[in-house]
Amino acid sequence: MSALRMQGVGFTYPGAPAPALSDCSFAAEAGQVTWLTGALGAGTSTALLVAAGLAPRHTGGDRTGVVRTLGEDPALPASRAALGGRVALVLSSPATQLSGIAETVAQEVAFAPANLGWPRARIRSRVADAMDAVQIAHLADRDPGTLSGGEMQRAVIAAMLVLEPELWLLDEPTSALDAAGRALIHDMMRREATRGAAVVIASEDADGLLPVAGRLIVFASGRPAIDGTPRAILAGDQVWRAGAASTAIAGLARAAGVVAPYPLTVDDGVARWTR
Amino acid sequence: MNARLLALLPAAIAINLVIGGLVNAMGLPLYLDSIGTILATVLAGPAVGILAGVIGQVLFGLINGYQWIPFGLIQVVIALLAGVAASQAGFRSVGRSIAWGLLTGVAAGALSSIISYVLFKGVTATGTTAVVTVLRQLGLSLPVAVTASSLTLDLADKAVAFLVVGSLVRSLPNRMVGRFPRAARAIGR
Amino acid sequence: MTPVSRAAAGRLHPFTPLVLTVCVAVLAVAAPGPQTAAALYGVTLLAVAAAGVGRAALRALVPLAPLWLFLFLLHAILGEGDQVAVLGLSLSRDGLALAVTQACRLGAIATASLALYASFSPARFVDAVAERGWSFSWAYLVVATLLALPRFRARAVAILEAQRSRGLRLRGSLLNRVRAVGPVTFPLLLGALAEVDERGFALESRCASGVTRRTPLDPPRDSLGDRVGRWLAGALAVAAVLWRVLR
Repeated sequence: MSALRMQGVGFTYPGAPAPALSDCSFAAEAGQVTWLTGALGAGTSTALLVAAGLAPRHTGGDRTGVVRTLGEDPALPASRAALGGRVALVLSSPATQLSGIAETVAQEVAFAPANLGWPRARIRSRVADAMDAVQIAHLADRDPGTLSGGEMQRAVIAAMLVLEPELWLLDEPTSALDAAGRALIHDMMRREATRGAAVVIASEDADGLLPVAGRLIVFASGRPAIDGTPRAILAGDQVWRAGAASTAIAGLARAAGVVAPYPLTVDDGVARWTR
Repeated sequence: MNARLLALLPAAIAINLVIGGLVNAMGLPLYLDSIGTILATVLAGPAVGILAGVIGQVLFGLINGYQWIPFGLIQVVIALLAGVAASQAGFRSVGRSIAWGLLTGVAAGALSSIISYVLFKGVTATGTTAVVTVLRQLGLSLPVAVTASSLTLDLADKAVAFLVVGSLVRSLPNRMVGRFPRAARAIGR
Repeated sequence: MTPVSRAAAGRLHPFTPLVLTVCVAVLAVAAPGPQTAAALYGVTLLAVAAAGVGRAALRALVPLAPLWLFLFLLHAILGEGDQVAVLGLSLSRDGLALAVTQACRLGAIATASLALYASFSPARFVDAVAERGWSFSWAYLVVATLLALPRFRARAVAILEAQRSRGLRLRGSLLNRVRAVGPVTFPLLLGALAEVDERGFALESRCASGVTRRTPLDPPRDSLGDRVGRWLAGALAVAAVLWRVLR
């Protein structure tokens, strides 16, 4: 069973003239990092909200088609209890994702497990592990509101990591981070996939995700247009035609008039042009 | 309570508590301590507006003294009237917003004068008290003076508050208003 | 929040100052005359100083001073009936008694509540509510709002400054200032609304809705002294109300 499966899904926001998703079908598997990309408005963010059940529960609007998140239809009210704590959602702006009642980072990370009623000893040890995993243990006693954007996003990710979720839904999670922060989060995602979680990430960071993602789905007009391995897709021309971007080196090669397949990394380029 | 309310209410309550201070800093003789209540009502209904108003008043009492908590009753009346206004497309235009604001001001002013007379022996917020003192000097009886002073202030205050909320909701993009069906009705969309 | 947790008030169970201050308010309303009201204000001042939050008593004077002044004007100077001479002023005897009673009532109430606010620890309050198994939503609303206030205030000040530097006239005629209400409040309101959606998403995925039994992370100690104090204060308040009603 796929961790996330969509079949013929349509979604329209209330008052919107056009659907954000239409006839959208794809699946994401446990143990793999599935990377979604596309032009602005292609539907990747909406796909994540639909998978989490927040669309339409929070956003309003109409959803059609079949969605199965860890085997449940996330739009049904009954699924909230069944999925609670098993699906992690991370958005791009960390400040709005803070709990709002934590005075320290440790309390912030403990927010969800405490809400779920975990025993105190388990909360304490899992919180310490989660803060270690994203290297914020030294910030444990800081007021989360005073952290830098990058530190705050790592605290938000730790606050999800603490739950050991089965499905990660990340929407541009590294846009507030510097290169070191991005590498840390990408590494964490790889470890989560190895642990057995399904990781679905919407991102434009081709250079960062190329070595991490096992699969790339390029969205166009509210549905997957290209689906395959990142290397195969990014080296071609299709991804550019879909309005998405490949790696910096591929962009450079394309701009310089090189014929596809494009080199994707510095190493690729060196190998190709020193042959 | 669902997560959407848990996110909306602290924002609405903080708006009630902060904008009052803001207009104070601008030297305006208005309270504007009910914008969050009215906004919450327009977006999510009078029950949510009442919650925002009452919790806001209790927290205001915690910060500034419990003596202000009884005035939370006024917030309930404001939320109820704003709820009626919203269901009648009362925020559709500037004129309608002001009219509903004035109507709410009459109710709020009357209630506020009753509360301040019974519980506070005629003394209310400092601005009103000064007016009361002057009116007393002019020979008006205490209950009349209290009512007259808080009524004028409340009329202006609620008219401005309804006007602000109406203009705000009308300026929101369709996509956002669409998420709040009640708000769409309030502005007649 | 104010760092007073180290003071004596910060060592009490979070519900103890809450119950005590509410009881002070009830006793103040029930106080029949100037002597009892003044005695209650005096006891409140001593208790607040002993609890290490004496500054609250001073901070309470800011809103109290004008109230006291107007009470004095309204009732003692403008009051009717028998006149007494105090410091060369001719004052109404009943009005003076009423003004002193009300001034001391308000003094006790304001001092008690500001002392509670000064000693309030959001995290301990949430833990105390969680330990009792009471509704998490209510505790969340109270604490999330209190912690959001400084952020909103800072944003309000920033907006005021920004609009002023863009040439918005915040001084001048009343009409000018009323016109400035929109440009000053709109950015604050729009910013708050923009955040609501994402915070709702985050709270839902962090299991904040439908919490049935939250784990207190560091449950505050509820000592025998705390419990006895709360029961005594409650009994005193109930007795005072009964006495006032039945008398």
